[in-house]
Amino acid sequence: MKRLAIAGILTVLLLSLITGCNSSAGTSSNSDTIELRFFHRWPTEPKKQYFEKAVKEFEELHPNIKIKTEAVLNDSYKEKIRVVLGSKNPPDVYFSWSGEFAYNFVRADQALDLTDYINSDTEWSGEIIESQFKPFTLDGKTYGIPWSTDGKAFFYNKKIFKDLNLEPPSTWSELIEVSEKIKDAGITPITFGSKAPWTISHYIGSLNELIVPEDVIAKDYDPNNPEGDFSHPGYVTALEKFMELEPFFNKGVNSVDHQYSRELFNGGKAAMGYFQLAEIGLIEPSLGEDLGVFNTPSIEGGEGNPNSITAAPEGIMISSKTKHPEEAMEFIKFLTSKEKGTEQLKEVSEYSAVKGTTTTENASKLQEEAIDLIVNAEKTYLWFDTAVDISIVDAYLNGTQQMLDGKKTPEEVMADVQAAAKKVKK
Amino acid sequence: MLSRKVVPFLYIAPCLLLMGVFVYYPIIENFRFSFYEFSAFSPDKVFVGFENFLTLFQDEVFYIALKNNIWYAVISIIFQVFGGLVLAAILEDPVTRFVSSFFRTVFFLPVVISITVIALLFSFIYNPDIGLLNSLLTLLGLEEWTRAWLGESETAIFAVIAVSQWQSIGYIMMLFIIAIQAIPKELYEAAEIDGAGKIRKFIYVTVPQVKEMLFVATLITLTGAFTVFNEPYILTGGGPGNASEVLGTLLYNSAFFKDQMGYASAIATVILILTLLVSLVQMKLFKTGKDG
Repeated sequence: MKRLAIAGILTVLLLSLITGCNSSAGTSSNSDTIELRFFHRWPTEPKKQYFEKAVKEFEELHPNIKIKTEAVLNDSYKEKIRVVLGSKNPPDVYFSWSGEFAYNFVRADQALDLTDYINSDTEWSGEIIESQFKPFTLDGKTYGIPWSTDGKAFFYNKKIFKDLNLEPPSTWSELIEVSEKIKDAGITPITFGSKAPWTISHYIGSLNELIVPEDVIAKDYDPNNPEGDFSHPGYVTALEKFMELEPFFNKGVNSVDHQYSRELFNGGKAAMGYFQLAEIGLIEPSLGEDLGVFNTPSIEGGEGNPNSITAAPEGIMISSKTKHPEEAMEFIKFLTSKEKGTEQLKEVSEYSAVKGTTTTENASKLQEEAIDLIVNAEKTYLWFDTAVDISIVDAYLNGTQQMLDGKKTPEEVMADVQAAAKKVKK
Repeated sequence: MLSRKVVPFLYIAPCLLLMGVFVYYPIIENFRFSFYEFSAFSPDKVFVGFENFLTLFQDEVFYIALKNNIWYAVISIIFQVFGGLVLAAILEDPVTRFVSSFFRTVFFLPVVISITVIALLFSFIYNPDIGLLNSLLTLLGLEEWTRAWLGESETAIFAVIAVSQWQSIGYIMMLFIIAIQAIPKELYEAAEIDGAGKIRKFIYVTVPQVKEMLFVATLITLTGAFTVFNEPYILTGGGPGNASEVLGTLLYNSAFFKDQMGYASAIATVILILTLLVSLVQMKLFKTGKDG
């Protein structure tokens, strides 16, 4: 019996240990300091440091608020954010891409309506480029604050173009022509890596917008419109146009990741590449004066608006379950202030969504040109992979990878996409 | 007298508790989830009965994944179990006595390297432009054999499987070395007197004597082959298209990329049943527990 008693005592001790852990975790919010949890997608330098610094500065300004940051990179972020938002204890402030990606959270009731905050403090919100709120707005209510903005354009190596006596192309057939000449000279015309298939979605997104009429796209991309069935022949044409570039890519694109393809361009091994304008900051240090940018060439016979650009903001949202919406909002206002926006471009080469933050002081000439591309475009559209339902994106990207591998035709890819769309919109 | 009956259970209680909470409870929950349709952040689950399973069995990607898993299993058995046994026998042979500890370390080294590091290492080896493998082939004059190993549908899964063989063979080899060292020397001496050569000694003494270990090794490699995730996920992400998809990556993509949690649970249930079947069949075949 004595042994039994000891065992009993041990069990009680063990149990109290477990519950003890629990209660100690719960009490930390009892004191006066408020703890906000901030979840973003930049665990890599220099952005990691930039946010650490910003958090520290904010905490100094607001001694009663403590911010706990967590960060996960890109693709993993897309996966993890869905899970943590579904948990009982979601982060108060979190990063989000715009468009369908953000709307998903809104529809699942995980995002706080920020419209009142935006309207009540126009001194702050008026400084933000107005068009950038749109992809965070659903049914007239705004759920996210744009933090950065970015666009997609062709980058080219001016030196290679000059040596071969070429001009940056403005139409698709000129692009093919130029590529042929570069290939004949023994240089890789276009650098590309589709191991992580989001790079494909950027080509597809832009080509769709240039070829397919606007109203058809609006119908097809809308996850709740059963009439949008991706049956317009323009979608097939877009994939065919994409495949016209295939002979000019570097070898084995499906096994090459984006970073590697950028290094090829950085090293002068490739003449062109389809990059994000934010990447200027990563390429300019290697290529310097030789780096040039031109807008996605227009397509002969395309029904979309040629004076347009794939450009979308990335922003910050607040969880609908947060206990401290005021403080969370305060933090977002701090991150999207003019002062921070100016620092942002210089330190992490992300264009702030705040007006007038790209100036000769903090930006290179090319970066100023780049932001003009976005501002001057008549129409902007979102990143394809965040604008459309994920199952449709998946069918598109898997199909295109196989198409690049010679296993599928554009028609077959579109058949898969249509099947996926049918399932989503039923 | 009560204590006699209760105390033993108290000793295993902590282990049982942890296993229950972290292994058995999730398995049962997962089984339940596979009958629902839900996403990670939506509050309501919709009961759909066997629909997830029906969709799964009509999903062509599931069969691609299953086929790849079977390839994984077959190749792993040949290279890791059989190859590992042969390697172990060679390293335990008196002839290689002076170099065996060196080679043991060489073969075992990949086992202790993190799989992420290995996968990154191999994505450089397989790189179509600057990769070691293609450079080697070019050097040998086999230029027409060079290809984007991870980027082509035909080769992607085999390139991934090859990495796993390279990494895991050392572990299986080590298991066999331990088993071989436990074989009494007299058996080999008796075989020698009977006039058996090295190969006969291997077949008639070594193999029957390491039978138990053979069972363990096949079990490890087979369940490993059906639950593999890291290598294909890091090296190809299941691509190009779905060419190198395995059940593990299919599950992961369904759950965390497409946000179909119920469907993913159904895949998990199928994996569980498959691995259970595999080990049941093996237990029957090897009649384990009855040594000799």
